Amino acid sequence: MAPLRCLMRLLLLVLVFALGPAAGLRRRLLALQSLVEAEELAEELWGAGLPGDLPELEPECRRLLAAFAEGSAALTDCLGRRARPVRLCQACNLQYRHLLAQYGNIARAVGNSSESHNCAKSILTSDRLQIVVTLSEFFNETWEAANCANCLKNSSEGLSNSTVVFLDLFNKSLTCFEHNLQGQTIYVSPNNYTEVCKNCNETYRMLNDLYNNLQRMNSQGGESGHSAHLCIDVEDAMNITRKLWSRTFNCSLPCSDTVPVIAVSSFILFLPIVFYLSSFLHSKQKKRILILPKRIQSNASLVNIQEKYS
Amino acid sequence: QLTASPFLRIGQLSNVDLNEDIHELETELPRQHPNEIPHNEKLLSLKYESLDYDNSENQLFLEEERRINHTAFRTVEIKRWVICAMIGILTGLVACFIDIVVENLAGLKYRVVKGNIDKFTEKGGLSFSLLLWATLNASVVMVGSVIVAFIEPVAAGSGIPQIKCYLNGVKIPHVVRLKTLAIKVCGVILSVVGGLAVGKEGPMIHSGAVIAAGISQGRSTSLKRDFKIFEYFRRDTEKRDFVSAGAAAGVSAAFGAPVGGVLFSLEEGASFWNQFLTWRIFFASMISTFTLNSVLSVYHGNAWDLSSPGLINFGRFDTEKMGYTIQEIPIFIFMGVVGGILGALFNALNYWLTMFRIRYIHRPCLQVVEAMLVAAVTATVGFVMIYCSRDCQPIQGSTVAYPLQLFCADGEYNSMATAFFNTPEKSVVNLFHDPPGSYNPMTLGMFTLVYFFLACWTYGLTVSAGVFIPSLLIGAAWGRLFGISLSYLTKGSIWADPGKYALMGAAAQLGGIVRMTLSLTVIMMEATGNVTYGFPIMLVLMTAKIVGDYFVEGLYDMHIQLQSVPFLHWEAPVTSHSLTAREVMSAPVTCLRRIERVGTVVDILSDTSSNHNGFPVVESNPDTSQVAGLRGLILRSQLIVLLKHKVFVERANLSLVQRRLKLKDFRDAYPRFPPIQSIHVSQDERECMIDLSEFMNPSPYTVPQEASLPRVFKLFRALGLRHLVVVDNRNEVVGMVTRKDLARYRLGKEGLEELSLAQT
Repeated sequence: MAPLRCLMRLLLLVLVFALGPAAGLRRRLLALQSLVEAEELAEELWGAGLPGDLPELEPECRRLLAAFAEGSAALTDCLGRRARPVRLCQACNLQYRHLLAQYGNIARAVGNSSESHNCAKSILTSDRLQIVVTLSEFFNETWEAANCANCLKNSSEGLSNSTVVFLDLFNKSLTCFEHNLQGQTIYVSPNNYTEVCKNCNETYRMLNDLYNNLQRMNSQGGESGHSAHLCIDVEDAMNITRKLWSRTFNCSLPCSDTVPVIAVSSFILFLPIVFYLSSFLHSKQKKRILILPKRIQSNASLVNIQEKYS
Repeated sequence: QLTASPFLRIGQLSNVDLNEDIHELETELPRQHPNEIPHNEKLLSLKYESLDYDNSENQLFLEEERRINHTAFRTVEIKRWVICAMIGILTGLVACFIDIVVENLAGLKYRVVKGNIDKFTEKGGLSFSLLLWATLNASVVMVGSVIVAFIEPVAAGSGIPQIKCYLNGVKIPHVVRLKTLAIKVCGVILSVVGGLAVGKEGPMIHSGAVIAAGISQGRSTSLKRDFKIFEYFRRDTEKRDFVSAGAAAGVSAAFGAPVGGVLFSLEEGASFWNQFLTWRIFFASMISTFTLNSVLSVYHGNAWDLSSPGLINFGRFDTEKMGYTIQEIPIFIFMGVVGGILGALFNALNYWLTMFRIRYIHRPCLQVVEAMLVAAVTATVGFVMIYCSRDCQPIQGSTVAYPLQLFCADGEYNSMATAFFNTPEKSVVNLFHDPPGSYNPMTLGMFTLVYFFLACWTYGLTVSAGVFIPSLLIGAAWGRLFGISLSYLTKGSIWADPGKYALMGAAAQLGGIVRMTLSLTVIMMEATGNVTYGFPIMLVLMTAKIVGDYFVEGLYDMHIQLQSVPFLHWEAPVTSHSLTAREVMSAPVTCLRRIERVGTVVDILSDTSSNHNGFPVVESNPDTSQVAGLRGLILRSQLIVLLKHKVFVERANLSLVQRRLKLKDFRDAYPRFPPIQSIHVSQDERECMIDLSEFMNPSPYTVPQEASLPRVFKLFRALGLRHLVVVDNRNEVVGMVTRKDLARYRLGKEGLEELSLAQT
């Protein structure tokens, strides 16, 4: 059969070249050629022992894929809802675990038919886009960036003790702020928060110290691990509180002692002037003793040098 | 017509008839100048001697060469490689030591001061924190300055000018001693910890050079230990090659730039260059950066991750964000111009300051006090700047090592403090890599201004410290400022990333100050790890050099000049062809006869007024009235060894069993030959005769009297000579050209100038 096909194609080519200028005819011939090629492809597939239409996903794999899709939808939903104020690690941990498990199922699953053709292969790596992989990578990266592992227990179930304590304290200080602000809205009188500052100072200090402690512990233990960040929930909670405290309530008013600082610094800055003046006036200037070189000075060189100097 | 002196003096004779009256006139003229003058830049100091790069091919040398067979020379070659490897390893280890100690001590200091400031911010009384900071700085710097000023003054400064001189062939006293190394290392640690505006990179080059000089000799005279190895390398020629390898290893350890190190040695130093030496130097550099890398990786806890190759690491420049386009090239060139102008200003200010220091602050105690004052003022200025700054940045996501809150809201830090409250290396990297918006333009402007003057004031103090990092820091600050204003002008274009401009500014500033070209380009390229920046960095450095040279010369050259070092540049001054060897040379020359009376030799050597080092040897004619032809050249060091071993003609006849002197005896005395005063010669021995023909160099380089200065200069510079004998057409000695005779001609502002010799 093959030699026949070759002959046919040759014939077609000859026809195309011979009748070049006649465009319409040429187009028709090209169509004819593509028809021939399609036939060839079908023939080849037939020869490999596969059905003519596309290979279908096995039902099992399809089920796994659907589960993954639902899981990622749930996680995305959770992440989006908990974006502000940030509660990602507390709220979405469960969904994230689920998704991880589902992804693991797909990666591990082996289909029914042949070994070379399992679910993992057909779902994860059989096309250019590889959307499942991309999605799972995105979730992993987000989780890493949020550093959620830092405020979860080692077994990743539930919050760690220190985080729980911190969040408790955080809630307490928020409640304290609310209590003391009752009756006045935040943006009405910006300078009238002395009450809050006085009453909540203790809680705020405790919260601040706890946070600093956590941070210190983290950076010490974290040398082997990745970064010195705490998890995003804790960081954000502290950020909000600090902003409220120092920006909105204006509670942290440090004493500024400008006068002594100016005095001390001008004293120190004054010292070099004294030093240089005194060494200029009192120190004996270093003199150099000139040595006369042993040299023959001819007429020419004398003229030369003098010329150059004048 | 002989002079009345007991020595045979030649040279005046043949000329007297030519210009007798002018000679008289000339001897009168200089007398009109005062004998004592204040220090100025147009002097050459007598303190500095020259190195002998030329091999003395006397009979002993030939004998040794005959005795050593081919395999032995191969061992010598292998030893050279071993020494280079050891230089690299030790230099790397020293760099690690400095880095780790500085990191820990500076960390301790900043933690203490930060704790104190945090405490007093709440309660009030920040003036105490200021006092604490200033006192801490001043006391640390005091220790660093005391050891330099009282123990080893040559360890002051970055050491690059000194190494440059050494490689040029000038023997700077004490420059490559072990004691200098110890002082240098401690001094640099203390001055960086003391918060001065200095870096620890320049001194690494000096340290590498000392290590090289020490290892290649296989002994230390400071420790009085001789390991009896590498004896073959005990002469100036070999030592100098190894010192250039050491300097390269130092650069390589400092910046993680092995190629830059090799090129630095090439550009700044070695006038004697061949491909084997280059390859060996490169080997030493690579070993050095590798050692530093591996030790630091172990120290930082990620063993064998070899990605922190230098003391300063500029960090990765992300090519995607930090790429540049052709439109930016003119901007970079403009930055080069700015860098050149600022560098020239820096150098000019430092020139006046250094002159003042040499003239008035020459007592060690005053130098220590000055260093302490600078340290205290640096701390004070930093504190005041931080105190006055209201530029607060959120602490989240920033990589500040010691965030100072001061008057900022909780959770924010003072942005000025990242620049001042940190070691300069860290500040540089912060300026390169902090995301846009981390600094406000006002902060950067103030910082540049203040740091410029601080760095200028600091360089030249009696502490060991380098100028590389402060220059980079100044440049990075104004470069970043430039980048910010650029992106403001262009309404926030994507290409105007301030980090990129900070890098270019740093290159421009450093180029404007030190005026290095090729090696600096490669160093910057290697330190950033980005080859694509090669072109803009080259353009920036080129522009900075051209613009800067228009005003004043480079900082290192300036300091070499101020130290009155007889430094030979690449070429003779361009307008000097009319000068001939006759006018350049020193005459009359003190000559020795081939068989000379011991008494005469001792007298000549002990004559303090003519502290010569090389003596032409002439034919010993029985009647001294006849001037004889040149036969060879003998060095002071050789004569001293001869006198010490009492190699006299009479004694040789007396005791036949007496051991013949070998080349080894001369090498053992190297490099510190005993002074003539320590050699005892009895009255009887003075009458003995000494035969020099075996020990002198029988074929010294000579030039005729008519040779022009550039010709003499070229010969002298290219061969690394120390003595060049001027002869007339009968091969009679007329004069002697030495380094100081050539170095005194310089191209000044008004043409050719002549420097005068002075005792310093």
